[in-house]
Amino acid sequence: MANPRFSIGDEVTVRDETTLFHTRTQKFARGRTGVVVEHRPEWVIPEDEAFDRMETGRKEPFYVVRFKQTELWPGYTGQSIDTLESEFSERWLVPA
Amino acid sequence: MQYATLMERVRHLAPEERNVLDSPYQIPNELYAALRSVLHDVGGQPDAPTPYLEKGEEDWEMNTYLTCECLGWRGAWNSEMRRRAENDLGATMYFGLPYYARWITVAAKTLVDKGLITTDELGQKIDEIRARLEARD
Amino acid sequence: MTSMHDGHDGHNTFPVSSKVSEFEILELAVRELAIEKGIFSAEDHRRFAEWADGVGPHGGSKLVAKAWSDPAFKEKLLTKGTEACKEVGIDWLQPTGTGTPSDYTFFYVLENTPKVHNVIVCTLCSCYPRPVLGMSPDWYRTPAYRRRMVNRPREVLAEFGLHLPDDVEVRVHDSNQKSRFMVMPMRPDGTEGWSEQELAEIVTRDTMIGVALPDPKVRVPVPAGEVHQ
Repeated sequence: MANPRFSIGDEVTVRDETTLFHTRTQKFARGRTGVVVEHRPEWVIPEDEAFDRMETGRKEPFYVVRFKQTELWPGYTGQSIDTLESEFSERWLVPA
Repeated sequence: MQYATLMERVRHLAPEERNVLDSPYQIPNELYAALRSVLHDVGGQPDAPTPYLEKGEEDWEMNTYLTCECLGWRGAWNSEMRRRAENDLGATMYFGLPYYARWITVAAKTLVDKGLITTDELGQKIDEIRARLEARD
Repeated sequence: MTSMHDGHDGHNTFPVSSKVSEFEILELAVRELAIEKGIFSAEDHRRFAEWADGVGPHGGSKLVAKAWSDPAFKEKLLTKGTEACKEVGIDWLQPTGTGTPSDYTFFYVLENTPKVHNVIVCTLCSCYPRPVLGMSPDWYRTPAYRRRMVNRPREVLAEFGLHLPDDVEVRVHDSNQKSRFMVMPMRPDGTEGWSEQELAEIVTRDTMIGVALPDPKVRVPVPAGEVHQ
């Protein structure tokens, strides 16, 4: 795969796609919008690796996305400045 | 374990759910979605504060870690296959087993799934080792 | 609030039902079959055990202490984590030559500042930077920690005895892919003039997970010299 589609600072939304059996895209992140804060190297996506396709699996760029906690959890009881970061392969992100 | 003893144990697992989830003729879409949602994804689920304990690894737990890593090192599986296989255990086993018991159970399952060992080889080896260890103690 | 954390010397009773553990039996069965069939060797297992025996929180403690003492090293640690690790004797490619199957080789250090406090969790399993911190604590792997650290971080931190000011951003890192993280806490006051060795002793495991802060009065022994893996 060529250049990463998203740049640092881009607002992205995590896709809410039906997933059977295995995923590493958490339910709490789906449909939520955050900001790309880091690029990560290309790896085999976990949806392929989990089914013994380490060698032949699809590779994609990964991104660190930072969310405001108040975006993730309605009724968040901490402070409004609090954040959460997690990583997603390119297929899981769309421009916000 | 004797059949009757085993059945008695199984009967007591999540008894409040038994009438609802005993191979029902039909279930609503929402229940199907909940049942098939990926099990390890627990972040944000309601829970009460629980003491944070330092149990420390027993020998079999450390050996389980090492055996699972060696299986990965030599290409029998990868770590994501282990994590997926843990989900495949289903909720009762996933949450019923200690952490490393989940690991070693799915290591055995994956070797069988991949045709690297057979269930009868595994069963015979287990019986042989049990006899060896009981003689030791 | 009293801490729910029982500390490093907690001796709790964890009942075991019978004298020979079926888990021990199953592990031996899998290992012996794997060795008989040539999937891996007894020597592989021994080599991995030797590596596992050498890793522990002292690796991370040395990294942090060196970063506190040496600004150039700190910069390297924050930007080229695995490269910096080599300077204290930690090689992320060990023990296999390509890294461990579960930890991979992407290591990032998260710097605490007066405005940001970092904490790590893996909600999906229990991803943890074993090469620098050793085996994860048992509580880190529990569903209870995984469930609540993401949406109630300040409450969980309070249960560990850590109360952060309202104007400090709590940044939770849910380690859900191949990256492995470690927190670099801030150097506390009262440690001026301390040697790297002395500093390393206050950088406890929990301060590098992010559920505690270094305390000059709380010291854990750290072996001197390079980490031997």
